[in-house]
This record gives sequence, structure tokens and C-alpha cells, in this order.
Amino acid sequence: MRHDIAIVGGGLLGRLLAWRASLSGLGVVLYEAKDRIGNGATAWVAGGMVTPQAEAVDAEPELVAMGRRSLSLWPEWLRALPAPVHYNADGTLLVWQRADAGEARRFEALLKARDPLASFQRLDAQQIAAQEPALSERFHEALYLPGEANVDNRQLLSALADALDETGVECHWNRHVDDAEQPDASIVIDCRGKSAKSRWKELRGVRGEIVRLHAPGVELRHMIRLLHPRSSVYLISRPNGNLVVGATTIESDDASPISVRGALELLSVAYSVLPELAEARIVEMNSDCRPALPDNRPAIRYSPAARRMEVNGLYRHGFLLSPAVVEEVLAVLPQLLKNPHHELGASPRWPSLGTREEALACH
Amino acid sequence: MQDTLTLYGRSFTSRILLGTARYESPALLVDAIKAANPAMVTVALRKQIEGGAKAGESFWQILRTTNRELLPNTAGCNTVKEALNTALMARELFETDFIKLEVIGDEENLQPDPFGLVEAATELVKQGFRVLPYCTDDLVVCRRLLDAGCEVLMPWAAPIGTGQGPRNPRALRELRQRLPDVPLIEDAGLGLPSHACQVMEWGFDGVLINTAVSRAIDPVRMARAFADAVEAGRSAYLAGPMPVQELAVPSTPEIGKPFWDEAARFAVQETT
Repeated sequence: MRHDIAIVGGGLLGRLLAWRASLSGLGVVLYEAKDRIGNGATAWVAGGMVTPQAEAVDAEPELVAMGRRSLSLWPEWLRALPAPVHYNADGTLLVWQRADAGEARRFEALLKARDPLASFQRLDAQQIAAQEPALSERFHEALYLPGEANVDNRQLLSALADALDETGVECHWNRHVDDAEQPDASIVIDCRGKSAKSRWKELRGVRGEIVRLHAPGVELRHMIRLLHPRSSVYLISRPNGNLVVGATTIESDDASPISVRGALELLSVAYSVLPELAEARIVEMNSDCRPALPDNRPAIRYSPAARRMEVNGLYRHGFLLSPAVVEEVLAVLPQLLKNPHHELGASPRWPSLGTREEALACH
Repeated sequence: MQDTLTLYGRSFTSRILLGTARYESPALLVDAIKAANPAMVTVALRKQIEGGAKAGESFWQILRTTNRELLPNTAGCNTVKEALNTALMARELFETDFIKLEVIGDEENLQPDPFGLVEAATELVKQGFRVLPYCTDDLVVCRRLLDAGCEVLMPWAAPIGTGQGPRNPRALRELRQRLPDVPLIEDAGLGLPSHACQVMEWGFDGVLINTAVSRAIDPVRMARAFADAVEAGRSAYLAGPMPVQELAVPSTPEIGKPFWDEAARFAVQETT
């Protein structure tokens, strides 16, 4: 049976797209070179943050807006999954060392400039103690960004695999599709992330390292981000006393194991925020490369001749942006399925998302 | 004759060196490079080399598209050995003998280790490198670096990334006075175009900026502001600034009024 769409690459974006496309009534086949639980996807080594405001210091206004859109989609989408996925929308607390107070001022200035809906609260020591008791007496000031969320990345990847079975998506796990192969479908959608570099030469890897801790005695209600001039590290609480600390950002295509420097950086951030983490157990240290385009923004491009769509470049922002990106792909798909020889125009909703080869080519 | 910056016999029309760390995206960095129009752009490789020779290639390839001279640095090196290895790797990867040498002596403020720096510089010069050492404003350390064979010095204004501007203006100006023929590039700690303009007015030959541009709210605009400031400061230096006076001197004397203030003004000048 010829499918409407074949998705190559079943990481976060590929799974999410396959699931939503299937729910919208399309016939979908999915190919993923790695396994069903998602070990091998960039999203496997992620923090799962959906923090449009906290990321405003590292992302342009349109991405912040796309992040806000995703933030509004996640709860509903997660409810529709067959298995429960941990989702915490209690917001982000930004803290900083006294010497880095300038970072907090910079953050406020950037947030106001980039997010018209910005809403944050300055907390004093007393308010911090009330809101996040674990940080009590550790910090005298903090910025609170309400409503921001995080998703348990691994639970989500598994639940999406279950959902694909449930909705009848034909899934081929552990099945590599090479560049020459054209799966039998009206339109092929390449969601291979960094593995698509052979086809999209501007793609590069940006190495990220994380540490997973087990610290049942430490309870964090919010995501914590330590503002620092040289790093952007979050502490993210997960069910059953687990804690993710991540991530580093290194311009490198190398996905070899975490470096000592990376481990030290992450662990010292964790320790400086919460000294009681000294007795936490290190469950895992991991690293991978995020797929990024030169402007660090996601992009969709479409070749009518090959009937092939490519969606890539979610960079550090897979969980922040994938629902908005998937929604956009689903919005353009019906027209392309009707006439696959159509050019893909610029997206009215997210102008930067459509094909923008010119902008991506650095002269 | 065109006013150029000459480093190891190479002439550059721009007097800015631009660092490439901590930009929001490579695309933004490319735009900032266009706006700052730097003589060279620096590139770190310490975090990349362990992952294999090609690990940083994607990013470096983007830098190469800007057609600027790439100046590799040894940022992130705390020991002489590490700096030497990184420099050797840099020469291979970037096919250049130029190396911006950093040997960090303090993790907290990333202050140069003067002893390690002189040792590493001595060895690298022996191996044919053209070394641009990131140093403090200490005259004797600077002399030792010159003795080692460095033909350019890069004294700091303040610790890396602080944006404080020149912490010790007197030392920097004395350095300029005592080493009149050595290209001096102010490196680290500049936060504002006015800081860059000021050191250029003092006769520094160039400035290296990174964080001041990359962490500005609008890096491209800030890059342009630095380019303007460096040009202004250089022109001011070449134009020969007027001497500072202790008292106001009207540029047009008022007719019919005796120059009663002259005596007082000269008296002040004599005592200073």
C-alpha cells in the first residue's frame, strides 16, 4: 500500500509528526535507524525543556513565539497519548551568583526586547524560600518565569512509540534508509536531524553534554537555570528523585563521551546551586550533537521534483519547538499531497520556517 | 600613505580582532564580522580537538566563508604543555603560523600565567610560530615575551569577559611609552566602544573584542559601534591630541580684556 507520507527519522520530531499526521487521517510509514525507545535520538540526551522565556537570551523573537505556541500545545497532546508522560509546568527560576548580577539585568533587557508577552517576577530571599524551599538561604535574588514547562524526554519517546502503534502507523525500527532510497509514499519527509548532513550541507552538530543524578532527598518544584556569562545550565527535577543537569553547548560534531571539563562544569553548577547534591548519585553522563543550521533556527524545505520535504535544525530547542513545527508541517501537507509539484511558499505564521536557502548560505 | 596595522610583516587595514565565542548563532557571528570588519577573527579549538581533527570543522567552515584571516588561540589551556599541543594542532588545522597564546593562571578570572606564558612563547617561537601572547600589563613580563621572540603583545585591560574597561590606565600608557615600537593590541576586558576608543587614543595599535559584541543585545550594531570607535581613536592618536590644561582657555580671547588668567595658568603648568 502506498502511504501518504513516509517519515525517515523517528527521533522526537519524526515520531511527533508521524503521530499527529496519523491522527489527522493520513497514512503514515516511519523508518528509524535506531530503536523503539529512542536511545540514539538526540532527544534521548535532552532536558525536555519547554522554556520560551528562559531561552529568550539565546533565541530570536520568532523562536520565543514558536516556543509559546508549543507550550500551549503540549498539555493537550500529552493527554492524548496512551501512556502517562511527566510534565511539569511550574515555571523556571533563574538564579545567579552575586558576581553575575549583570547577567540578570541582561536577561531582563533581552526578554523584554524579544517577548512581547514576557511575564516574570523578581523574587527576594523570602519569596525564594517560599517558592523553592530547596534554595532557601542560597540566593538573595531570583527571577521567576511562570508557566514554563519540562517534559520527561524518555517517557515521551516511548509513549509516542506506543501511540504510533495505536493509531496504526507502520513503524520500521532499527531500519536505516540511505540517501539513495526513496520509500514508497506520496511525500517523503526527512526528519533525520544531524544524520541528514549528507543532504543538507549547512547542517552542523552542536555538542551537548548532560548529567543525570539520583537525589531522592532533594525536591525541586521548578526548573532552575543558573545565569552565568559562560554557560547556560538547567537543573530539572524528574519523577522518583531523579534530576537532569544540562547542558553544555560546544561547536563540535563530536558525539564521543562527556569530557572531564563538561562533567566538572555541569556538576559544579549543580553543586553551587544545591550543595546537598554532593551526595547525589551520578546515574548517567551522556552527550550528543544537536542538529543546527547556521542561524540556529529550524527550517522546512521541499523539493517538488523529489516529492521530498526536509525538516531540520531544531538545535537546542527540540522540545521547545517541535509541536509548533509539526503543526506547521501538517498545515502545508494537504496542499502538497493534492499537488506534490507545488513549491512550498513561505509560512505565513512563522516566516523564518519556510525554505530560506539564501538566508542560510553564509557569504 | 595608508595607515595599516603590521603584525609579523603582515599588514592589515583594520585594527580590530574579533573573537567568535558566545554568539547566539554562527549566522549572527557572520553578520557581526561583516559589521566589525576585523583584521582577523580568533578561533578556539581546545574543546574540539579531543573529538578528532574534524570535530569543529562545520563551525570553522562557516568562519572561512567570511574570508577573514583566522587566528587560532589556545583558550582553555592551563599548562604550557597543553598550550603547545593546542598550538601545534592549530597550525595543522588552520595552516597558519600565527597563534594567539593564552596560558591561564587563574580559573576564576582567567588571568594569564606570566611564567607559563613566557615559557610557552619561547618554545613556540623556536618552532617557528608567530606568537601573539595574551599577557598582563606588567612591563617586565612584556619585555621577557619580547626577549622570547614575540613581535606583538596583547596586554589585558581587565579580566576576560568582564567588560570593565582599562583597570589600570597608567600601566597601559606607560607600556605604550616604554615599548614605542612594539605593536600592542589591547585584549580582554573591554566592554564599550569608548574603552576601545580610549586605548586607541593612547596609541595602542589595535583591540581584540569578543564578549562586548557577542553578548550585546544587538551584536551587529555593537560591532559597528566598535569599528567606528576604533577608527575614531586611531585618528585622534594620529592627529595628536591637544595637551590637557588645568584651567579653561577661551579659544577666542575677548577683545579689550587683559589676559589676567595667563599667569595663573602657567603657574599651574609649572607645578605639574
